Amino acid sequence: MNAPNEWALLVEGLGKVYGPGGAEAVPGTGPDFGRTVSPSTGAIVGCWDIDLEVVPGEALGVIGESGSGKSTVMRCIAGDQTATTGQARLRSVDDGATNLFDMEPSARRALRIDQLAVVYQDPSEGLDLGVSAGGNIADRLTAAGWRNFGQIRARAAELLARTEVPLDRMDDPVGTFSGGMRQRVQLAKALANRPSVLLLDEPTTGLDASVAAGVLDLIRDLLDETGVGAVVVSHDFNVIEMLTRRSVVMHHGRIVEQGLTDQLLEDPQHPYSQRLVGAARG
Amino acid sequence: MGYVAAKGGFDAIRAAEELVRTRQRESRSSWLELDQIIDRLGYAVDRVMGEGGLWDPELAARAFRQAEGDLIEATHLVRAHRSTLPRFGATRTVDADEIDVLRRIVPAFREPPGPQLLGRTLDYTGRLLDLTPEDQARNEAVMAVADGLTDTGTTEADEVADHDIDRATRVPGRLLDALRSMDAVVDRRRSDDPDPIDITRLPARPGSPRSARLSAMARAETGALVQLWYRNILGPDRHLHEVTLGEVRHGRLPVSVEHPLTGEPLTVGHVRVTEVEAIEDLDGVDEDRTRFDVGYGMTFGHNERKAIAMANLDIALARDDGSGPLEQSVLLTTDGLDASGFLEHLKLPHYVTFRSMMERKSALRSDRVRQARADRRPVAVSDCEVTDLSGVGA
Amino acid sequence: MRLLELAIETSNETARPILDESSKREVRRAVLTAVAVPGYQVPFGSREMPVARGWGSGGLQITLAVIGDDDTVKVYDQGEDGGVNAANLRRLIRRSEEVETTTDARAATIIQTRHRVPEDELIEDQTLVLQVPVPEPLRGVERDMNELRRMHAEGDYAKMWVSLYEDIVRNGVITQTTGYPCLVNDRYVIATTPIPRWDVPRLHQAKFLSLFGAGREKRIYAIPPHTDVEPLTFTDVAFEVEAIASACRCGLIRPGGERAAYLVELPRQDGTSEWVCSDTDWCARQRVDAGLLDPTTLVETEVEL
Repeated sequence: MNAPNEWALLVEGLGKVYGPGGAEAVPGTGPDFGRTVSPSTGAIVGCWDIDLEVVPGEALGVIGESGSGKSTVMRCIAGDQTATTGQARLRSVDDGATNLFDMEPSARRALRIDQLAVVYQDPSEGLDLGVSAGGNIADRLTAAGWRNFGQIRARAAELLARTEVPLDRMDDPVGTFSGGMRQRVQLAKALANRPSVLLLDEPTTGLDASVAAGVLDLIRDLLDETGVGAVVVSHDFNVIEMLTRRSVVMHHGRIVEQGLTDQLLEDPQHPYSQRLVGAARG
Repeated sequence: MGYVAAKGGFDAIRAAEELVRTRQRESRSSWLELDQIIDRLGYAVDRVMGEGGLWDPELAARAFRQAEGDLIEATHLVRAHRSTLPRFGATRTVDADEIDVLRRIVPAFREPPGPQLLGRTLDYTGRLLDLTPEDQARNEAVMAVADGLTDTGTTEADEVADHDIDRATRVPGRLLDALRSMDAVVDRRRSDDPDPIDITRLPARPGSPRSARLSAMARAETGALVQLWYRNILGPDRHLHEVTLGEVRHGRLPVSVEHPLTGEPLTVGHVRVTEVEAIEDLDGVDEDRTRFDVGYGMTFGHNERKAIAMANLDIALARDDGSGPLEQSVLLTTDGLDASGFLEHLKLPHYVTFRSMMERKSALRSDRVRQARADRRPVAVSDCEVTDLSGVGA
Repeated sequence: MRLLELAIETSNETARPILDESSKREVRRAVLTAVAVPGYQVPFGSREMPVARGWGSGGLQITLAVIGDDDTVKVYDQGEDGGVNAANLRRLIRRSEEVETTTDARAATIIQTRHRVPEDELIEDQTLVLQVPVPEPLRGVERDMNELRRMHAEGDYAKMWVSLYEDIVRNGVITQTTGYPCLVNDRYVIATTPIPRWDVPRLHQAKFLSLFGAGREKRIYAIPPHTDVEPLTFTDVAFEVEAIASACRCGLIRPGGERAAYLVELPRQDGTSEWVCSDTDWCARQRVDAGLLDPTTLVETEVEL
């Protein structure tokens, strides 16, 4: 295990309940009960008791079927949703002393400029499709205080070149781009201000296999190159296997197993993991 | 004092004003009396009072006449007049259950508690243009008055008295109460909006409480509310269901103030209002599918289409709860004076701004900018230093 | 306060004011807030005026609310004192308040204007009241009012910057014409009514107080004297005012000449144009000073009510 002061992102006891009851809704839910709907309050327990730790330059996988709570975890860390309980800390924010969940919403949103970036499955969540590829990156750069047009353009071009977006498309609205190209622009935008942590939510789901493979190669290279700490959320074992060294398996809103990704795939311990791996390798 | 005569524009507006005055004063037709307008053009007077947010039939009639029948203009006159008056107090909150109905229908039930009272309505008047020759029609009207069949001096009070119905009928129960007894409606009563927001003091903006929304709709332009309703029923927005109407009422409500010395409530007059309750079928995933909810509309005077649109929009706003654009549409786009004034301001001189626009057009055609566009060609890969992104995140 | 006391307090009204005294107090409170927080759009209970929404109802409420006994008011529109709208507003103000009016910007203590800042250099103790049709500078990039509030609260103007970036990318130049967005006191972005860009630099560190009134949208904002007003521009793309390439027909104001002013175009049917200064009173004074115009022929006749 890593020394405790090495993490870039630390999540402890994260829980999210949709509906009434808060923590009181939790008993009777989870893998042991086979349900996420609270028998006492009817609320949906999106995730509970989630602990994660990501060190710089490492990608942590979160695997699970849809409805397992993995996207809820990501959205609570990102600040798109409000966590019911728990803590999330970034080393780059107050050297990890501040629980992100206690921050003012405005300060929380400001983290997204240069500390914590997200690449969504749906590009329209991360991009303004009516704005050019360069303009989408300019959005992040100007938010971080860049005011020189030439420098903004050069940095945008650099990022787009690195993410393999043809530069003659730089000034075209992203809405005219293919799905794979949109994901590349999202990556360029996410990395614009050198965040310390990158969250990737099903980054290649919905893309053709050959396009997805190209985007995955790119993501792997970028993770190596930038040293960013990443959380990769996916239902797809190939994605997790390719990008991550360690991963956790989620089921009914809980982490049911964690470990090194290749061991987990070779020799899953929890019955649910076994079923999941079996189905994927079947 | 200055060097430029400011008189040119002044002379022009004086001349335009004179043309207006000439036709209003020197028309060959006879002078239009206020009581004629109040008696014979009552729907127009009611609309001016409703959209003007001021109950005063005589002032509204005066405004309607001065505006030569333009309802928006008349509303403007009434509201601008209101701005000149000091506000030295507020009436007590009116209890809508004290209404004296002139008309009350309950489409939701065949025989509701209380009466179905059709009352005076144009709904079933046949809608055929009356082509009785003028002389004959006038004679008939004169004869009718002579025979005492009608009282030409009808006042608001007489109108009520004309209905030969007992007090129990005129003050019926409320369908909502019956629905509550049947446990057929969700309870959405809340205590955090006790005193109605005065939207003439505090602008009604997204996030305002329900009382502000209702006030805004009560003063909204009738056509704007009807259009917004229809747009949301049939148009691209689709925020509304068609409701079932519980109550549609037209009647008189007593208005009271606190006596300045004794503190006792004191009735100072009456207003006529249209009141509507609209029953909504709840079908949202997080809603109680086993019950209904109810929207509310009320406006000055007799204006059922406005009150119905308002009640339906009220419940839609409650269900939407500020998550969509409906609240902003209702609060910001339905005021008649706002929309018309802004539209018509386009008639004002705009030659300073237009000059600026012309200048940018020539700039875009200039060699300088053409060159800039050419220089800005999508940056070629060779133009920028493509480094790897290592160090990002460090 | 009880109803009777209020009735007594407010009963001392002048002849036919178009805004009652308690409403004026309310407008003044909003103005004070606006001055205290430069560039912040203060909501106020905008009253209906005898001019329509969009016709200066916001500027008129401010002017009526801030007028004192010693004030002299100038009202102009497009730089012209003699325009119909200016004449109408001036008449309404004089009917409502006992106040002197002038066309000379130097002599006025309150200048109500639509679309222009006077060419004269205004000084301390002068107040410019600007009529604002659309007070929201971000409306072009965002329509949702809750999101707009958030953007202003957090100083999140990235969308605005992106629109400027996209403008240059597409057009090679910033094509925004009037009402250019400006950052006030390094905090809030405002819409500069729609005054031409020509006038924008004169708001920066100005000696005078600028009050912006949007009656229809029920907001007031302000630029106090000696406040930074920076047009949003990239550091390597200069802010451009309107290029003035022609001479005023008065002959005094010409490109590269000693004095410069914003000119407007008077097109002829054959495609050629004449040009005149938009600020008519200022132009006339230049001619008088140059001995080209006999001042006695142009003295304002007192406007009757």
